[in-house]
Amino acid sequence: MPKLIIDNIEVEVPAGTTVLEAAKKVGIVIPHFCYHPALGSVGACRLCAMKFLEGPVKGIQMSCMVPAQDGMVVSTTDDEAAKMRSLVIEWLMTNHPHDCPVCDEGGECLLQDFTVAGGHGIRRYRGKKRTFLNQCLGDYIEHEMNRCIECYRCVRFYQEFAGGSDLGVMGSAARVYFGRFEDGALASPFSGNLVDICPTGVYTDKTARFRARYWDYDMAPSVCPHCSLGCNTIPAARYRELLKTMARRNDAVNGWFICDRGRFSNSPVNDPERPRHPMIEGREAGWDEAFDALLFRIGELCELHGEGSLAVVGSGRLALEGSALLPQLAGLLGAGFLCYFTDDGAGDRTATAVSLLNTDNAASMADVRASDCIAIVDCDLLEEGPMMLLAVRQAWRNGAPVLLVGEHSPLEQAKAASIEAVQISFLEEAPLGLFENPVVICGTKNSSPAAIEKLARAEARVACLLPGPNAFGAALLAREHGGTSLAAAVATGKVKGIVAVEADIPVELLEGVALVAAFDWLPTEVVKKADIVLPTTAWTEMDGTFVNNEGRAQRFRKVMTPGLPIKGLPERYHASADKPAPFHPPRVHRKEPPGGDLRPAWRVIMDLIERLGGEKTEEPLSGKLEALRDLDPEGEGVRIWEIDG
Amino acid sequence: MPLLTDTKALLLGFWTTWKHIFRRPVTIEYPDEKRVPYPRFRARIVLTRDPDGGERCVACYLCSAACPVDCISMQAAETDNGRRFAAWFRINFSRCIFCGLCAEACPTMAIQMTPDYEICKREIMDLVYEKEDLLISGCGKDPEYNFYRHAGIGVVNRRGGNPDEEPPVDPRSLMP
Ligand code: SF4
Ligand code: SF4
Ligand code: SF4
Ligand code: SF4
Ligand code: FES
Repeated sequence: MPKLIIDNIEVEVPAGTTVLEAAKKVGIVIPHFCYHPALGSVGACRLCAMKFLEGPVKGIQMSCMVPAQDGMVVSTTDDEAAKMRSLVIEWLMTNHPHDCPVCDEGGECLLQDFTVAGGHGIRRYRGKKRTFLNQCLGDYIEHEMNRCIECYRCVRFYQEFAGGSDLGVMGSAARVYFGRFEDGALASPFSGNLVDICPTGVYTDKTARFRARYWDYDMAPSVCPHCSLGCNTIPAARYRELLKTMARRNDAVNGWFICDRGRFSNSPVNDPERPRHPMIEGREAGWDEAFDALLFRIGELCELHGEGSLAVVGSGRLALEGSALLPQLAGLLGAGFLCYFTDDGAGDRTATAVSLLNTDNAASMADVRASDCIAIVDCDLLEEGPMMLLAVRQAWRNGAPVLLVGEHSPLEQAKAASIEAVQISFLEEAPLGLFENPVVICGTKNSSPAAIEKLARAEARVACLLPGPNAFGAALLAREHGGTSLAAAVATGKVKGIVAVEADIPVELLEGVALVAAFDWLPTEVVKKADIVLPTTAWTEMDGTFVNNEGRAQRFRKVMTPGLPIKGLPERYHASADKPAPFHPPRVHRKEPPGGDLRPAWRVIMDLIERLGGEKTEEPLSGKLEALRDLDPEGEGVRIWEIDG
Repeated sequence: MPLLTDTKALLLGFWTTWKHIFRRPVTIEYPDEKRVPYPRFRARIVLTRDPDGGERCVACYLCSAACPVDCISMQAAETDNGRRFAAWFRINFSRCIFCGLCAEACPTMAIQMTPDYEICKREIMDLVYEKEDLLISGCGKDPEYNFYRHAGIGVVNRRGGNPDEEPPVDPRSLMP
């Protein structure tokens, strides 16, 4: 490990680390644009100058291009280096428009920060600025080319890292243009990362256009709930509206990026249709009244149809806290069935996958990126876990062959990330034994439990994609507490009442059921049909835990206060309820935000447990899961097997 | 000698008082009589318009960020031609300390302090001003300035049409 001295501080870094990174390690951040840890160095922006005083190279150098070596003595504060940086940033700014006030990047803009840090303040250049025409890049990304500083990060990410082919660089001299050949939506399923990766405001999130500034966001470390991979995110909200989602770095899981589904699926949280009040037979009620009604109706049901005619249903999207309390609730209610999955197949396949995985063979996305041969078995990654495809591409870029196994692994997914994949029919044909670090990726949507079981015999590590962000946790609990699937329970003909906790149940299964109670935050079909509705909080409105597809428990934090967004607040919450709602927020004082009387699902279950005479606690995770109480939301998460021992 | 200095101090005091009996009073009989402050006096805040009559404020949130008592709030929105403006803009004058930091932060000269200091109200909600209460029809100070004639985003002038800009380039051109 080379040892060097930067600004009189001795630092030791792994071989191959650039001097720029080595300086970062001791807290010295030198302005830089073209270098990005995920994309590497190209030395294009010329901003990261440092002066090398001793060692193998001397003089002013681009620190992102020089690997740290023994005996180097480097100064970042040297006058010559500082002057160079200030001149470089000055000329990078010569064409930059005067539009920070109307730019969505303002406040979270690397160019703003590094212009100031680089020591440039007052414009001296009096020439005219070059301008470009913008393109329409679809519904999600706004393009404003005048702001470009030609760092090439976008094309390097889009083409090299993500394998997209419809965004590139055109032109020569001062006309270098980053965009598509013609107007049109970006095709890559990872295009949203351009918003994060561009150091200026060329690409901004169109869905959050002109809505807020960085310093006003409600933000917290969170976990994406839109598939089982559990990518780390930072959702940003303002005025009780979830505006956008940014990627959060976690090297063991998603790395630096997230997929477009995870980034742009914010609208359900702001849906005006969301259940906002407890409802009894379609009528708004208070919490106590709704609890009483629910318990009364359940009592009636048991009298009429006998004990055990009730099913308590969880799901793969219900956070671990709620899932872990379900068995206790089912016990106290005298429910005959505890279900974590609705349909037979998904439950079985998830259960098989979960029992197959263990601490040695479960592959994380980091393992996939480092793998030297990948087989994708009966799985469309674009549907079941898009970021896994980006991980596969990184392995492929390093030379790993990619095999698509079985009829349910479409070639389109490989094409979407420009991976050259080979299609084969059976996993047995894959020469996994020839490689050191092979990984088999398997879906649970279209494969059979038998096929999943076979993976245990493949000489490779396994990554299974599961139905839901906490499907792993749900399957573990189902195994421990003897859960069945709702379809199987209904097939016995005994189910006369259903308590659905954030569960999506097909309408057919609700037929002939006398009592349906739904605890949910989404306006699902079950909620619309339910006799009693108890509104819960979305994942951004509560603290919780998801166990991702490789058994990694990750904590997400409360991002925002629940309540109806100020934008579009109905008349009834304004000062004069009979006039059309004004543009501005209400001119009345309130203790609680309107429509904000929601409770996290686990809290609703706990309140019920308390009413039924169970022990009330503030800690939903108990027993073996107690070890997860102090999970660090900004850490890498904890594999479920690590807490067992 | 304390006796001597004490007597001197006492007499000096009486003398000063005596002198003032013959001076003109400085107290103003407000509200019958009103003083006109200097134009730079910092009191009631307004939102001004640019010389072309458009709203100057682009809802950039800089004034609300600068405000030390957090009494400004707003929501930005966009018109069909890409102009950014404030859908609503609220200043809570019951909290404002008239420090002028908002006006100093404003990049478009939209928010300005006026010398109108008479803003006492009996009802506290009457001190919460909405955009319609704040927006005036004139330019206030800096009557020449129109932000959109300098920002290169093509709202008032077409893209590349501001005085300090070249017309848009053709990236497909191979000319040197
Ligand atoms: S568009 Fe952004 S990321 Fe791409 S070169 Fe320009 S400044 Fe860099
Ligand atoms: S891959 Fe899945 S978890 Fe990751 S960002 Fe996309 S939808 Fe969310
Ligand atoms: S004058 Fe000062 S306190 Fe009043 S709104 Fe402006 S910044 Fe805030
Ligand atoms: S600083 Fe000026 S332009 Fe920006 S929001 Fe405030 S008044 Fe409007
Ligand atoms: S970061 Fe080193 S040259 Fe751009």
